[in-house]
Amino acid sequence: MKGEGMNYRYRILLLFLLASSLLFVTLAYSQDKFKLKPGAKGKLCQNCHVNFEEKMKKPYLHTPVKTGECSGCHNPHSSSHGKLLSSELNKVCYRCHAAMVPEKAVSSHKVVAEGECTKCHDPHSADSKFNLLKAGNELCYGCHKTMGESIEKAKFKHAPVTKGCMGCHNPHGSAKAGSLLIEGVPSLCLKCHKTDTPSFKKQHLNYPVTNSRCTSCHNPHGSDRGGILYNNVHRPVANGMCNQCHNEPTSPTPFATKKPGYELCRGCHSNTMNDIFSKNRMHWPVMSKQGCLSCHSPHASTEGSLLKAPLTSVCGTCHGDTIERQERAQTKHPPIAEGNCTACHVPHSSDNSFLMNQASVIELCGTCHDWQKHSTHPIGEKIIDPRNKNLTVQCLTCHRSHGTENKYFVYTAVISDMCTQCHAEFKR
Amino acid sequence: MKIRLAGILIIVMVLALPLSSFGAEAKLRYSATAYFDSKGGGMRLAEGVACNDSSVFIVADTGNGRLLRYSYGENAVKGGDEIRVDQMSYPVRVQFSPGGEILALDGKQRRIVRLGPEGVFKGYLEPAGLPEPSSFVLRSFKIDSAGNMYLLDIFGGRVIVLDPAGKYLRHIEFPGKYGFFSDLAVDSQSKIFLLDSVDSMVYVAAKDSKEFSPLGQKLEGYVNFPSSIAVDNRGTIYLADQNGSGIVAVGQDGSFLGRAVVFGWKDGFLRYPAQLCVNVKGEVYVADRENSRVQIFTEVK
Repeated sequence: MKGEGMNYRYRILLLFLLASSLLFVTLAYSQDKFKLKPGAKGKLCQNCHVNFEEKMKKPYLHTPVKTGECSGCHNPHSSSHGKLLSSELNKVCYRCHAAMVPEKAVSSHKVVAEGECTKCHDPHSADSKFNLLKAGNELCYGCHKTMGESIEKAKFKHAPVTKGCMGCHNPHGSAKAGSLLIEGVPSLCLKCHKTDTPSFKKQHLNYPVTNSRCTSCHNPHGSDRGGILYNNVHRPVANGMCNQCHNEPTSPTPFATKKPGYELCRGCHSNTMNDIFSKNRMHWPVMSKQGCLSCHSPHASTEGSLLKAPLTSVCGTCHGDTIERQERAQTKHPPIAEGNCTACHVPHSSDNSFLMNQASVIELCGTCHDWQKHSTHPIGEKIIDPRNKNLTVQCLTCHRSHGTENKYFVYTAVISDMCTQCHAEFKR
Repeated sequence: MKIRLAGILIIVMVLALPLSSFGAEAKLRYSATAYFDSKGGGMRLAEGVACNDSSVFIVADTGNGRLLRYSYGENAVKGGDEIRVDQMSYPVRVQFSPGGEILALDGKQRRIVRLGPEGVFKGYLEPAGLPEPSSFVLRSFKIDSAGNMYLLDIFGGRVIVLDPAGKYLRHIEFPGKYGFFSDLAVDSQSKIFLLDSVDSMVYVAAKDSKEFSPLGQKLEGYVNFPSSIAVDNRGTIYLADQNGSGIVAVGQDGSFLGRAVVFGWKDGFLRYPAQLCVNVKGEVYVADRENSRVQIFTEVK
């Protein structure tokens, strides 16, 4: 028995020695990979890279820079990568910082996913902690400019935001929530906000909102309205009349709506609903289980008409392929680029194909392109499309309004290929 | 001896599985087009088409607020008699019942109109005995060989099954997470297929099943907003790829089998197809909406 114990300890010792020597050999190899002169290391590089002296004076130095391990990231002889990096940028960084993004991240920062570490960090030295290029929110606002501006302008500020984005967001990725949040909503909010106080209950009209999504009404980045409600508030919410749509707060189901789908909205917006029903062609999501909430936010929103998001995003939720077509298109159609889908379409219902706001495509296009109505290829109700006896020649005969791979939204790369579809006699 | 024979049979069946799945791949050949009614009037934005095994087909000539009846044979379309009733102003989907009755979904009223085989108005479909919610909004519907009706209720988020008289039999809730359901199909085994246009997914519920489950993976990259689904008698699923202007064939396991037809104006091309129908002869009828016509393709096996 004792002999067996000795044997076991001996084996462990042997394994330890083996692992240690392996580590030593690896380190020695990596350090002496380039057979540098004794004591050369970073100092040798600085003989030519004299500007580095300035960098070395900065308060925050990247560890390999501090220890003179330039060859930890760079190959001094040759490389297939820029700045003589020993491999792709993100791979170089991940060699030491592998755990920056959680393995099963719910959300990850685009720049991190794309391996653009140097968008935020200086790989050598910096004046800011973590080798950040700029300190605090200023760095984030470099890309998130609009967000920065709206935060600065907001009349009512959310205190943690003024202190720094990192109070709520993880800049690399989050394993727990979307939008890089360190925790999901409402648990993140509940870290600071107590929901059992009389004032909190009064402000929320005694509705048990502890587990509700706070960001359904409140703008976590600040707003111009008291209680940092989003700038556009649904009137019943603004008037504190939650029970206009929801059951009473004392009900067993206080958040259940009094009627399903569009039937609830019809109570106040009867004119809108009657107008919708008077048309031949319905935008079907209006009639769905989600009803109006397919596109609108019921409580408050940053967008006008209480839209869930800017119009292109809302429409793109279902019609992503159409939005993408514009993105791929050589010529951009300005209304789409500006996110103004309603320049041509009616979002609720219409009598026209594609829910267009005019019966005649020519008249619709003519609202912006009036000149082309009078000076163009023969178009109109009397000009039959030679390819199809039930169609007449109009703008969409030659152009696809959401763009094509070709200039001016035409269907074919070579213009004559388009023309000879009808004018076959000119085909070579 | 019997055991050995059974073993051989099993091996042969297992080996034959991939063959049959490849064998199910369908190619379509253009056959004919219906453009006009019997008096020479053109169709306008035809959104619906129903067909039967005798190659009779009904077109929902949506823009003209009427139905048109045709027959197809020997690569030619005949007929085009108009069916117009005051009770139907904007037909968007149309179906035959096994008894030859014509049912059309009016997109404006969101009601199903029942017409006799001759096109005489017989009343609206009034589902009886519906559980809550008692109101519903229909996006589409299908009828099986027994005459049972399957209603795609987007308001209640469910598929309602009615008997031929319109009495409630059962319903199946939509799956938990989905984009938007535009159409459904029922095969000869009463299996229900549900088409999610936004997520490019097909869901399936076997006969008497209480829930839908995904049929394979998302068909992203193969379809752009598919709007209609039909199943042939061999189990090949056809999707009308609305924004991709084509027809996509999908296997019983949800796998992509192939794509036919491309965007265009001439015969044999499609622009925003809205509904398709396939009969026992392998004739595929497509309501070619933006081309204001119905085209007939034939399966080439």
